[in-house]
Amino acid sequence: MGKVNTVLGPIASEDLGVTSLHEHIGFGLPGCDLDTQWWKKPDEAFEVTIAKLRRFREHGGKTFVDCTGIGNGRDLEYFQVLSRRTGVHIVAVTGFVAGDSAMAYFREKSVEYLTDLFVHEITVGIAGTSAKAGAIKVGVSRGGKLSELDKRIYRAAARAALKTGAPIITHLTTDPQTALAIFDEEGLPLNRVLMGHADVGQDVDEERDSLIAGRGGYVGFDTIGYDLDMENPPYWGRYRKDRVDHFMRFLGKGFLDKAVIAADANCCALGWPGLKGHSVNYLFEEFLPDIRKAGVSEEAIEQLLVHTPATFLTLQEPQPVRRIEETEAVLAKN
Amino acid sequence: MLQNQQEISTGVVRTVLGPVAAQDLGIVLINESLLSVYPGADLAPEINMDKSEIFETLKRKLNDFRRQGGQTIVDASGMFHGRDVWLYQTLSKATGVNIIATTGLGPEKLLGGYFVTPQTNPPTPWPAEKFAGLFTQEVVEGVVVPRVERSTAAGAVVSIANPEGITNEEKSLFRGSAQTARETGVVVSVQHGADAIADLELLLAEGVDPSRVVIGGVDRQTAVGSKAAFEIARRGAYASIDHIGWGSEEGYISDAERVRLVVELLEAGFSERVLLSTSAVGVAKGHPAKELAFDYLLSTFVPLLKKAGVTDEQIRVLLEENPQRVLTVDTTAALKIKEYSVAGWRQWFSPVDH
Repeated sequence: MGKVNTVLGPIASEDLGVTSLHEHIGFGLPGCDLDTQWWKKPDEAFEVTIAKLRRFREHGGKTFVDCTGIGNGRDLEYFQVLSRRTGVHIVAVTGFVAGDSAMAYFREKSVEYLTDLFVHEITVGIAGTSAKAGAIKVGVSRGGKLSELDKRIYRAAARAALKTGAPIITHLTTDPQTALAIFDEEGLPLNRVLMGHADVGQDVDEERDSLIAGRGGYVGFDTIGYDLDMENPPYWGRYRKDRVDHFMRFLGKGFLDKAVIAADANCCALGWPGLKGHSVNYLFEEFLPDIRKAGVSEEAIEQLLVHTPATFLTLQEPQPVRRIEETEAVLAKN
Repeated sequence: MLQNQQEISTGVVRTVLGPVAAQDLGIVLINESLLSVYPGADLAPEINMDKSEIFETLKRKLNDFRRQGGQTIVDASGMFHGRDVWLYQTLSKATGVNIIATTGLGPEKLLGGYFVTPQTNPPTPWPAEKFAGLFTQEVVEGVVVPRVERSTAAGAVVSIANPEGITNEEKSLFRGSAQTARETGVVVSVQHGADAIADLELLLAEGVDPSRVVIGGVDRQTAVGSKAAFEIARRGAYASIDHIGWGSEEGYISDAERVRLVVELLEAGFSERVLLSTSAVGVAKGHPAKELAFDYLLSTFVPLLKKAGVTDEQIRVLLEENPQRVLTVDTTAALKIKEYSVAGWRQWFSPVDH
């Protein structure tokens, strides 16, 4: 079928197996490393992370996509060791979780610079290693709308996606019209984009989900397990039953092959408390039983965990980036 | 004066190699940067972070400074601009120059999301008290080597405002810095926003003594126009003429005008409230830095002062006595600085609870 970049090198798409498309080894906002409040015993952090990845393997999991952007705790050498020690393929991303989680040096850069940066990390390597990014992360800053910087990052990501064939994963689906307009303007088909976190509590919009899927985009039910039923859930949490019902309605509209499920869990959070007890394994231990009970077949589950991720992650033939004049013509028309 | 001399003779300054008697600091540059990394630049593929090259460049520049008679330098860039305390320790040993590391943050546009858009709803930026907690720990417990250890104590708390005007978040930074100075006895030194006196008042409102406050950037054209340096000194704080070598293209007065400013401050009786420095950057990564060596002040500016009639004794007060007094930790402060031990690292790591 093709190939996918992992932290230990490219692998065949067929070899991805059961995949979670939106997870984190550990996430923290820039600056958190300065606060000893968040320093975890390194031996225990390693042990806990290994245990969670091993358990993922026991559930049949084979590929873990780490969606931590540049400067948010993305640690390639650590990912490489974890992958070697557990046998789990780890896919790292280039890009930024959102404009407001990028560090100052990158916040001031042009679309052209950011495009080159993402292309470099996908085709040459990340942070001086030979490990290449397998996807591009973008996202919406706090405040409910794409910021000017978010838009620059989305546009650069679209161009890098065309140039390299790598897909885009978004943090949040907030303000979807703006995001979709940028992808359109750049000529990137929406089937190269996973619009993530459609299931977060503060931002549910089922018409939006249908709009994205109807145009070929993937819709992420990918904060699964941040349940308001748990103790001390984060503000983006959702009641477990509400999320399952939301997901089932989406499948009911015939969008099984546009649905993505993931937990967005931290193996060991870097700069925030995380959610106690949450891990990628929630998918297997809680969510799959829930949706099986709701009538989802094993075949559909295989689509969700194997076929959709493989189709999405497979690097496409590089496409020429639209000439600037063409993009400007589209922009003028809009 | 005698009383001041006695204070100095018993005072201690916190360098990257530990406590040093204030009078052993010699000539001090109070506001410089050794390694200055624009936040995030070290993660960009086009930036070369070869530590051996960085070391060699800084070593050469510090040796040039020492050859001109300089003995101490304050790395006034705070905690988030590439501060590398291990590098500074090695440099200090290799060159004999005392190096003082600082805690503090700013300006706001360079802060990380952890401080500005935390993962809470709404994403309330950090208040002054949280910044004070972060900075105070860097003085009392030692500066962080991120996720590895706390090293020797920060010798000052430094925060920087947007020169166009201090932002709300920068006000929190300044107030937090003043609280740390008050609690720990180190000096608070700031690069002011648009209004030096308003920023001074912001700091003093936290209960820090004026003699423990340095207002930097008073040789900016706007600050000179409002005679800020005189008012700062009149209130008992330090006016830091710390962009020597900079000029009108950067918004500063020329060296010739700077000499006049120094002479006028001396004539007004403020010799004990004026500091001199150059805001030079030893090695800049990810941002353009002015070509200015650490020896510029001694080799070029001091001769200009002498030519204008400033005496050797006055120069000694400006370059030695004043910064030594400023950097001396006030031992009457409530919190006491703990000594660094390489074996103490474990205490900074908490268990993984899930």
